[in-house]
Amino acid sequence: MMPCAEDDRSHSSRLRDILLSKEPYSESDAHKCETLMPILREQLKGARENNPQIDHFLTRQGIIVDDLQNLEEVPFMPVQMFKRFDLRTCPEQAIAKILQSSGTTGGTPSRIPLDKSTAMNQIRALKTILADYLGKNRKIFLVIDHEGINSPSMAFSARTAGVRGLSIYAKKTFYLLKEENGKLVLNLPVIRDVMEKYSQDDVYAFGFTYIIWTTFYEQVKKEGLRFSFKNFTLFHGGGWKKMQDLAVSKDEFSASIAAIFGAQPENILDFYGMAEQTGIIFVDCKEGHKHVPAFSQVIIRDPYTLQPCPPGKPGLIEVMSVLADSYYDQAVLTEDLGVLVGVDDCPCGRKGRYFRFVSRVEKAEVRGCGDTFRE
Amino acid sequence: MITCHLVDGKFEKQSCTDFDGIVTSINRNREVLTALPVDAIIKILDGLGKRVLKNPEINTVPGVSFISLWLRRENLDKICQINYSDKRYIDGFGKTGQNFLMMAQPRGIVCQWIAANMPTLGFFSVVQAILSKNGSIVKMPEEYVPLISSILRELPAISVEYEGKTYSGKTILDAIALVSFEGRTQETSEQFSLAADCRIIFGGSEAVRIISRLPCRDHCETVIFGPKYSFAVFDREFIASEGFRKSLDLVAKDVAVFNQMACSSPHVLFLEKSRYSVETIASWLKESFEKMPPVLRHQPISSGMSARIINARAEYQLADGRNCIAPQDLGWTILMNQEPCLEEPVQGKCIFLKEIGSADEVIPLVNHKIQAISIGILDPVKRESFARQATYRGADRIVIPGTIHDFTLPWDGIMTLNRLVRWVILKHS
Repeated sequence: MMPCAEDDRSHSSRLRDILLSKEPYSESDAHKCETLMPILREQLKGARENNPQIDHFLTRQGIIVDDLQNLEEVPFMPVQMFKRFDLRTCPEQAIAKILQSSGTTGGTPSRIPLDKSTAMNQIRALKTILADYLGKNRKIFLVIDHEGINSPSMAFSARTAGVRGLSIYAKKTFYLLKEENGKLVLNLPVIRDVMEKYSQDDVYAFGFTYIIWTTFYEQVKKEGLRFSFKNFTLFHGGGWKKMQDLAVSKDEFSASIAAIFGAQPENILDFYGMAEQTGIIFVDCKEGHKHVPAFSQVIIRDPYTLQPCPPGKPGLIEVMSVLADSYYDQAVLTEDLGVLVGVDDCPCGRKGRYFRFVSRVEKAEVRGCGDTFRE
Repeated sequence: MITCHLVDGKFEKQSCTDFDGIVTSINRNREVLTALPVDAIIKILDGLGKRVLKNPEINTVPGVSFISLWLRRENLDKICQINYSDKRYIDGFGKTGQNFLMMAQPRGIVCQWIAANMPTLGFFSVVQAILSKNGSIVKMPEEYVPLISSILRELPAISVEYEGKTYSGKTILDAIALVSFEGRTQETSEQFSLAADCRIIFGGSEAVRIISRLPCRDHCETVIFGPKYSFAVFDREFIASEGFRKSLDLVAKDVAVFNQMACSSPHVLFLEKSRYSVETIASWLKESFEKMPPVLRHQPISSGMSARIINARAEYQLADGRNCIAPQDLGWTILMNQEPCLEEPVQGKCIFLKEIGSADEVIPLVNHKIQAISIGILDPVKRESFARQATYRGADRIVIPGTIHDFTLPWDGIMTLNRLVRWVILKHS
């Protein structure tokens, strides 16, 4: 195994540093290819040199890295492969830690190897994204979950990733739920304390959509509690399949939760992200569009042709990133469906692509009489 | 709530809360059907086959041309022959060589649960009920109702002469009802099951388990076409033979028809070690896939199937000792490994290619879940020995490339028509 050539590493690192120092939504989409491709090419070369399985992956697809000209040509890695293969792209000794994400539905965890620079890049990226929505000052951070979710002894999950990632701008952190006999219940002393002391502060919160709705919202309503924050923003994500099953629309969710916190519905921000691409979250703007930051790209691919879909046509969401030198994060094909809404022209003023999440891919298949060979 | 799409010969979508009206209508009309000579029924069905082929609305739908072939009089005669030994038994009492006469009486109302993986499945099921002069109530996935209705709509326009009398296809149509309802609704499912003198169940493990547990009348017969798996094996003499390249076209077609969702769809092709490498054979199979007509080459897939294919491809591209050949789109996929085992179906035209030392190596893999094995074995002694061993272990059909989906009876080891009748006797005085 060989590390990338030092010069190449430094070159792509320098380019990435430039990207991470910019406003995340200031670049138009047309520049993406030009700014990201040189970094991605170097990362793919490093991946090929350091991981024979990724070398197979590229070779069997006939990929010559230097010939890749467009972002759409970068071979995507299906997200499930993080559960089945070691997708490390740097020398083994460079790995500082391996995140094991159990995802939202349990099962085999994804393994995400991180070296120091990747972990650092992810923190920097998340900081710039959050700063765009929250400003750069530290604030009171409310977690609509229990404290155990952030315990090192717990498996790293999408919930853990969210809490840890979003705590970057926390001045003080409060967990509004607690675990009691295996169930999540309101952490009433903490809630009262927050209500009394911090209503006039700038506050932001994070929670898992499904938990906020079925546990927190239900119990807060029952208790007749109501916050009245002067300046409040909620980031929430995940669990939309369950929410669809409950027939709760995004608008209904935002309006109901905003009312509980004394906030405006446009400050209830849904985001899309995954542990396999820690550091990047695609957050709703006030128009309800998810924006793609400068160091990332999103391609919506037709589920049959796999070609990029034009705006308005739903397809599989592929997320691209230049943050990771330690694992194959360059292009990850998710099992989510989304739709590209537009490019560079969102009324919110952010540049780049913007999209909407549609649904998870339906896994339950009608197999009929054609079935497994197992008796 | 039950949606009735066809009853009493009328294609009118209507809702009902129980099956009482439908049962009354089918019971009344099946009496008229019983009076039709089986040869007249076969003539009508033969006419139907010709008409569907001329119907531009449906004749391009995959599987419809096969329906037309299958409905040919000679084929239906053979089906009756193999099931009844003598088709006259279905029309009346016939001699047996014993001291009694024998007749095949229809069971009554056949309630049919049609699986959602093959659009034309429901039609074959209905025809078998007709050839045994039963009435049919068919629970069909909503999406297939238009196709089956389009075929059945041709029936009233068909009239045939037989032994000086005229018989109309409408008599057959009147004995068929098409319904759809939510299978998870226990009460409706129970009502449907209790309406049956005979139940035909097509479906996967879970569906079959749940439906067969529904209450039914004591005399009710249940015919189950449960979950099955199919594959192919070619020996080295066959691979070396002149017709081998052409047989790969037929394998590709077998894989493509029904987009590999049928119980008869092959998922693995085992190749005896030969002068050609697996990679070479895969490159020929690739050509076969690429030259398929667009209707087979490009078939709609669900996003779930799309994810399965994408994952299978990536797994084979990443892993040591495996390989994958595939186009840019998800039209077809060839996955290669050396493990002598069956593979979980991916569907959507994903075929696993494996090299083995001898065709006999696959015999231990055969169990009762195996429906069809398409074999390329030239030596008749070797063929029969393979077939005997494979069928002993559980396989139902040993076929040749290009015929794996041909709906011939017995199917899944079952003589369906025989199960749809009661054999009754009349003793001589």
